[in-house]
Order: sequence, then C-alpha cells, then structure tokens
Amino acid sequence: MRTSRRFVLLGSASAAVASVIARTAYASIPLELGDGADSRRMVARMVRVMYPHDRFGDGPYERSAEMIIGVAGKTTGQKIAFAAALMDMESDGFLDLDDAAAYDYLKGMEETEAFKLVRGNAILTLYDDPEVWELLGYQGASFDQGGYVNRGFNDLDWLPEPRIEEYGVGQ
Amino acid sequence: MKTIAMDEPAVVIIGSGAGGGTLAHELTQAGIECVLLEAGPYLKNEDYENNEWEAFHQMAWLDPRTTSGSWRIAKDFPTLPAWIVKAVGGTTTHWSGATPRFKDYEFKARTTYGDVPGASLLDWPITLEEMAPYYDRAEIAMGSTHRHGRPALPANNNYKVFANGAERVGYKLYATGPYATNAEPYDGRPASVQDGFNFQGDKSGAKWSIMVREIPRALETGLLDLRPDSHVVRITHDASGKADAVIYADAEGNLHRQSAKVVCLAGNSIESPRLLLMSDSGMFPHGLANSSDQVGRNYMRHMTGSVYARFDKPVHMFRGETMAGIIADEAQHKPDRGFVGGYYMETISLGPSFLAAFAEPGAWGPDFAKLMDAYANTAGMWIVGEDMPQATNRITLNTTVRDKWDLPVPNVHFDDHPNDVAMRTYAYEHAEKLYEAVGATGHHRTPPYPSTHNLGTCRMSERAEDGVVDRWGRTHDVPNLFVSDGSVMTTGAAANPTLTIVALAMRQAEYLAAELKRGNI
Repeated sequence: MRTSRRFVLLGSASAAVASVIARTAYASIPLELGDGADSRRMVARMVRVMYPHDRFGDGPYERSAEMIIGVAGKTTGQKIAFAAALMDMESDGFLDLDDAAAYDYLKGMEETEAFKLVRGNAILTLYDDPEVWELLGYQGASFDQGGYVNRGFNDLDWLPEPRIEEYGVGQ
Repeated sequence: MKTIAMDEPAVVIIGSGAGGGTLAHELTQAGIECVLLEAGPYLKNEDYENNEWEAFHQMAWLDPRTTSGSWRIAKDFPTLPAWIVKAVGGTTTHWSGATPRFKDYEFKARTTYGDVPGASLLDWPITLEEMAPYYDRAEIAMGSTHRHGRPALPANNNYKVFANGAERVGYKLYATGPYATNAEPYDGRPASVQDGFNFQGDKSGAKWSIMVREIPRALETGLLDLRPDSHVVRITHDASGKADAVIYADAEGNLHRQSAKVVCLAGNSIESPRLLLMSDSGMFPHGLANSSDQVGRNYMRHMTGSVYARFDKPVHMFRGETMAGIIADEAQHKPDRGFVGGYYMETISLGPSFLAAFAEPGAWGPDFAKLMDAYANTAGMWIVGEDMPQATNRITLNTTVRDKWDLPVPNVHFDDHPNDVAMRTYAYEHAEKLYEAVGATGHHRTPPYPSTHNLGTCRMSERAEDGVVDRWGRTHDVPNLFVSDGSVMTTGAAANPTLTIVALAMRQAEYLAAELKRGNI
C-alpha cells in the first residue's frame, strides 16, 4: 500500500487516491484551511494523541492544528512530506483508531519528518494557548493587575509557614 | 547624551550587561568618558512582554550559532546553546536575581580539588578576601536581600514547598535570598509586586538590572555615549600591538570605526572569545590576545538541571518571585559525595509554554501530558553547581555557517565531565528526596536548559601561558585590552555568577580609572 501511494506522489496513477485530502493537499498547497478541513481534523487528532488531556475540548487542538498547517508548507520538501504523511494516515484510517492504537500508529512514524514537523510545532502552540493556560490553572501576566502580591502568591496553606531568614539569623 | 567623536581615542566598552554596564557606570562616576556599544536594542521596562515566547523573541540572543559535543543541547536545541539577552542591560534584563558569593575554596579550585583527570583546573590569581569589599559594594548596588540591612522577601508558594522539604530532610541553610529584588522600596525602585515574570524582564523595576540602575545613572553624568544596535565585528591594533579602534555594524549593517585608547570587552562568554578570534591579524595570527591558545577554551555553563514535583494539592508556583528560594547546604566541597565542588538548590518556575518546551525536549504521549496536566500542583527547583573546566569545551569560529553580516558564527562545543554527571545525579536524587518529604506524588528530572550561565573562555591566570587575562582582567598580550565579563572566570564556582561579574567589574573599574589617571594607559 505504502509503495503504491509513494508512486502516486510521483505523479502516476492519481486515480488510486481520490480522497479529499489528496485533492486539497496537492491542489492547494499550502494547505488551505477552508478547503483542508480533513487535513485539520487529521492534524488535530495527531496533536491530541501526542498530548492527550481529557479536560481539553477540541478548541485548543484545532487551533494548534491550524497553526501547524500554517507553517507546514514553508519549504517544498516539507509540503511534500506533510501531504504524503496525511495521505498515508487517511488511507490507514488513522481517524478511526482508538487512543491506544492511534498512539502506536504515531509511535511507528516517530522518526519521520512529518511527525517531527507536527510534534515540534504542537509543543510550541498547544501549551501557548490562553484557554489551555486556564485549564491548567496558569494565570499568566499579572503586572496590570498589580502582580500576585494580593492575589495568592503565598496562599498555599497545606504546609507550615517556613522561615525566610537565613539559618541562625535572629536566633 | 554625550557624543564622543569617532576619531577621538576613547574608552570603549563592548557590551552593556552585568560586566560592561557596571564598568560604564563606575568609570563615568569617576569622571571618565566612555563609549558603550551594545549589539541589541534599547528596551525599557514598559516594552517587556509578560508572555514567555513573545519576550523570548523580543530579547533573546537569536543570532545563528552552532553546537557540537555530547551535551544534550546539541541534539535538542542545536542552534540555541545559550539563552541570554541581546538588549541594553544584557542578560541582567532577564536574570532571576539570586546573588550568593563565591566561596573561599572556590577561588582555589586546583589546590582544593587536586588533580581531577580531564579537568583543566587552575587557582584564581585573586582571593575571596581581596574580593570581599567589592562583593559588599555589589550587594549594596544590587539591593541583595538579607544583606546590608535589606529585608528578606516573603515566602511564595513554591518556596513554602521547597523550604518545608528542606527542613524535613535536615537542611539548614535555606532562605528566600540573597536575591536582588526589593522586598521594600529601595534605591529609587519599588517593592516587588510578585508578578511572576523574571525571565522575561521585570516591568516593575523592583528587580535590579543594569538597565534600571547603572545605565540611567551613567547617562546622567553626561559622560556616557551609549550606542544601541551597534554590533562590534573587529578590534583593531596599531603597529605596536596596542588596540586602537573597534569596528562595528549598525542596525543596517553600515560599518563604523570608533577610535580607542582602551577597549573593554564584555560580550558574554560566547561573543567575547568569538570577537577576539575574529580580530586576528598578521601580528596576532591566532586571534587577538591569544598567544596562549586559551581564547575560547574552558567554556563552562554550570552543572544544572531541574526537578518538577507533583502534589495532590495546589502550589501555583508561577505566582511570585521566580528564584527567591535558595538552599546552600550542598554548596560545599565534600568529596565523599562522589564529586568535587558543590551546588545550590533554587526555586524555579516556568509557565506552561516554556515548561512544555523545556521539561523534556522531544517527549510526547500520555506520560508527558500527565506532567503538564499537573501544572497547578507542581513545584519546581533548579540545581546549579560548579562544572569542571575542560580545554576541549570551547568556542571556535564555524567556517561554514555565517551570520547576517557574513561573519563566521561561534560554535559551542561541550561535553559533560564525569564530575558534572556525578554531581547532577546526586543533586537530582536529593531534590527528589526533598519533595518526597513533603508528599510529592511524582517528579520529573528536567535536563539543563540552553545555558544561562556562560563562563570561562578568556580565563584569568597568574601566568600568561595559562590564560588570557591577568588579575585585573587585562589581557596578557595587549596592554590596553581588558575583558570585563564572566569570560574571565578561572573556574565557575557553584553560585549564580552575576554578583561576581558585577564585583569584578567594580574592581576592574577602580584599577582602570587609577591607571588612566596615572597615565599608564
């Protein structure tokens, strides 16, 4: 199967792959988001399998996928590798795999350029998202609100108040 | 602002960070005019972004660099060996603030540690006793807490976990400092509002930096000609072998020549040796001030690592001063631990954006997601200790990769010494024990970040053949060329280096001012 799809990439037997991804990926490189909804769904699923958080809705993963697709086509080599990987994944039914099988599937492509492209960008986008910060309990910038000095910088109450002076000082 | 003519032989300082900025301040206070050349822009407190990646792209030194060696950085961040700042104020802009002094034995590392195979240990040509008055002055300038009457910062959440853990495993030497951020208003700057942003520049001005203190005061003297966006590309010399000018590129790449009677180089331990190596000539075929072949060698980055521990209750480590928590019990030479030298434990916190990128570079999958999922209940500490100088850990010129000016980029080669590895392993284990003592349900060993402490490469030595500069930071080969940054460190000690860089620059400024007044330069 893989061999035949590689062959397709070289420009022959294009009828063998008539998927939406194939059309959008190759017809409108760089992958347009409007036309590439399948691509986005595929990448969003990849990101969720890479960084699974039950309490994250689809939004953070979709935004991450959008940004990844936005940078995936910086070079011709990247575009080709990325599009080819997406075609493989569609053919292999990646979207239908359960979490464990999807993890194993990604593990199998861990060393590919496409995987590294998605993972390397996912780590920079998924956790750099204000909604994710909120879900994780990170409050971010505080200077405009007067810092955390009156907003819980020392509200931890499950341990005793520790000494702040150096040992032996004032003792 | 003062304008010094390009053809006037001036005191020229290259780099406006902890070393160069201090020097400019001290010299102008002594009535000496200076040209201060800074490769980066003039960012002010109000410009700083309280957002990890935005701030990184705003101020980090992102000029191309390459790496080699067995350190993990060469695999994970091959073009980012160091995380330092390119802006007026240099890396003091985003430093955390911890200000321990070096210890007496650390100035005598070769004598104390003996012959460590593979290490190029050397005693400093100066002692702690000699440094003590300058440490005092530096602590007063920087407003170090717990020193000279400056009050301690309060305990933040991350510190509460850290200090309670310390107490339970039997450590005694823990405190919220010394730390150069105001607990109460001091020196015209406000008290900390505990806004949680240090590595991005401190908007409030509560944290000491060259940009908030030394630069404005030097400018007020009317004797400082500060030139941001001025990247020095060569130091030239006359027929007698004395430095006579520096050539620098402005933001558009136009070259300028500033005549010099003294040149003080403070570009950090990667750019300083790079510039000396790029300033080769017929008289100095291996680079300026490099007759010893020591320029670029003995690059040190401290033994570092982090441990992030998870609890079943909230911590919110990001609220408050990032590194206002220091344990000094392991900062001593006790070779029965299996290594020479010591290390500190210090609180640290990253936001989710940086934690994701740096906690375990390259990792993915459910285990990594679990680490991130525990963010609110996570406490963090950094371990920072003395690493062994090695002649082969060095900055060289990469002849195939060039920067935007078509100049060779610096290559940073680094291999951990077995002593570094033994110390890191021990430090990880003891950090984990500390957190387990206060109920950690899990922990993660994070590898060293791109280097924030860059040391050595132009080391100070008694004998000219052993190093690049003498006890005053004056190069052994070129009498009017000084090195004024952390490059001069003969060995790295365990402490965060900024206080020592400032103290050394104060000492050098006093010497230089006297020499200039005596007409010796």
